[in-house]
Amino acid sequence: MIASGAKIAFIGESGSGKSTLLELLAMILRPDSSTRFTFRPRSQDDASDVSAAWRTGDVDLLADLRSRHIGYVLQHGGLLPYLSVRDNINLPRRLVHGPVDDVAPHWAARLRIEAQLEKRPAELSIGQRQRVAIARALAHDPTVLIADEPTAAIDPVNAERIMELMVGLVDELGVTLVIASHAHDLMRNAGLRMIDLNIETSDRNTMHATVSHAA
Amino acid sequence: MRPDVSRLRLVGELALREFAHERVMSACFVLSLSAVLLPLLVLFGLKFGIIGNLLEPIKEDPRYRQILPAGSGSYGPDWFEAMAARPDVAFIVPRTRSIAATMRLRAVDSDAGRIISVELIPSATGDPALVGLDPPRSYDTIALSLDAADKLGVSRGDAVEGILSRTLGGEQQTVLVPLTVDAVAPAAAFSRDGMFVSHELLMAVEDFRDGRADGPLGWSGAAAAEGPRYFAGFRLYARSIDDVAALREGMMNQGIDVRSRVADIELVQTLDRNLSVVFWIIAGIAAVGYGLAFGSSVWANVDRKRLELSVLRLTGFRTRAIVWFPIVQAVLTGLLGWLLAALVFFLVQAGLNVLFADTVGGGESVCRLLPAHFILALVLTLAAASIAAALGGRKLAMLEPSLALREA
Repeated sequence: MIASGAKIAFIGESGSGKSTLLELLAMILRPDSSTRFTFRPRSQDDASDVSAAWRTGDVDLLADLRSRHIGYVLQHGGLLPYLSVRDNINLPRRLVHGPVDDVAPHWAARLRIEAQLEKRPAELSIGQRQRVAIARALAHDPTVLIADEPTAAIDPVNAERIMELMVGLVDELGVTLVIASHAHDLMRNAGLRMIDLNIETSDRNTMHATVSHAA
Repeated sequence: MRPDVSRLRLVGELALREFAHERVMSACFVLSLSAVLLPLLVLFGLKFGIIGNLLEPIKEDPRYRQILPAGSGSYGPDWFEAMAARPDVAFIVPRTRSIAATMRLRAVDSDAGRIISVELIPSATGDPALVGLDPPRSYDTIALSLDAADKLGVSRGDAVEGILSRTLGGEQQTVLVPLTVDAVAPAAAFSRDGMFVSHELLMAVEDFRDGRADGPLGWSGAAAAEGPRYFAGFRLYARSIDDVAALREGMMNQGIDVRSRVADIELVQTLDRNLSVVFWIIAGIAAVGYGLAFGSSVWANVDRKRLELSVLRLTGFRTRAIVWFPIVQAVLTGLLGWLLAALVFFLVQAGLNVLFADTVGGGESVCRLLPAHFILALVLTLAAASIAAALGGRKLAMLEPSLALREA
């Protein structure tokens, strides 16, 4: 169980199943089997039965839950190359609320990328792209922010700054944060709860994950 | 949750912006579509233009719709009534024996005093040979053929005099018929010396020749025969050139030997059919080839963009909405490709018409299309593009988004 408002880092080397776990949590990857997976965005909300939705094929329900409650930051940003920074940031918000006010300047200011609003992702540095990706993931007021190796491709100094910004924002907004990373120290310094992730491949070609609290 | 419509609009907007962003790739798709569509448009335009040019005179010239009896027969009022009632018959009038259907004619005010012998052509309102001209009425107005009018030196409104002779009881009798020229028919209407007359005048002339009396004109003779009157022949026009063959067939089956220009009509119609078959074979091959090419490119495109499309799904777009992404782009490609092909078609058309200006008459087009043809081409193009895109969309729907995201 991940409590609302928690800040968790899954630590593991590449191939340890971090991405798989995040995709399961983001309700984008269909589990081969699951006994219980419920999602309760806020304490006042009803819990949605994700296991049942996968079983019955109600992928629209999962898409709707994703669009409303989850912000996702990919390792390389996953920005749409044909949209400006402004439109990339506004996109998830428009999906949920239809035509909306332009919230991009506010988020750009928070992530210190005001000057990049009209640029295409291709014109940005990798660090700037990750800032845009974080802005986009937060712009529709999600309850959970999931980030898969958000700083792996960035130099350590920038990585630390971005982590500080991100943690500062989720603290302020009360958003639950789930990060997958191999950067043990970076996560600990950012004040995240550390969970080690190890995956063993058994003889019958199934994988078994062990989740344990890190020191 | 917002209704699906607004999400679809968002997907449509994204598809359009991606199309504009990848303008080089989009332009390639548009060009390749035009490259297939344009030759088809030109080919069909040529077929339509050439056949049109061959068919136009046949459709315009009423002589192609005319069916005439080859010999002399006997046709009663019932037969004429039945024929006139047929939907494929535009015009029918009885005709008397040809030996009785002549008259000598001279101009009243002419000093030349030239007398010519003219054939009497029965006519009435709606005569296709006299389109736009006054049909002959009663016993005193006529329409002259151009040849006859030239020889007599008369024109519309002039008075002429008909001269009829017969030998009755060993005695030579001659009567004069005062007539007014109401119209001069064009050369195409009748190529010899002829005179379009009313049914009444035609019957009166036959009566006179047969030695019968005719009341209204005051000619003496035997009493008119009792019972229905039978005629030796008829003048018949089919409703359209397409009706000639069937009409002719029907009359042949009635045992009536007729003359028509059905062979000329069928020649063009056969040519039209054969060219159409050739065209549709080529169009079919092109369509299948293009469909495969377009389909595979849409397919490859979905593959190429799977990361971006997966990001949309991760953002929370429903699969069903994202399937519209390739469809919107395919429809736009089809629309632009069609527009380009149509524009270039007009250039090619202008070039061809200049090139073949000597071959075809002035004002005629060797290559042309109707607006309906362009619309048909558009509909077929969009249908083919949508089918190809829907297949790409199917692939998209089956795509596992998380696999694509790993490659990010």
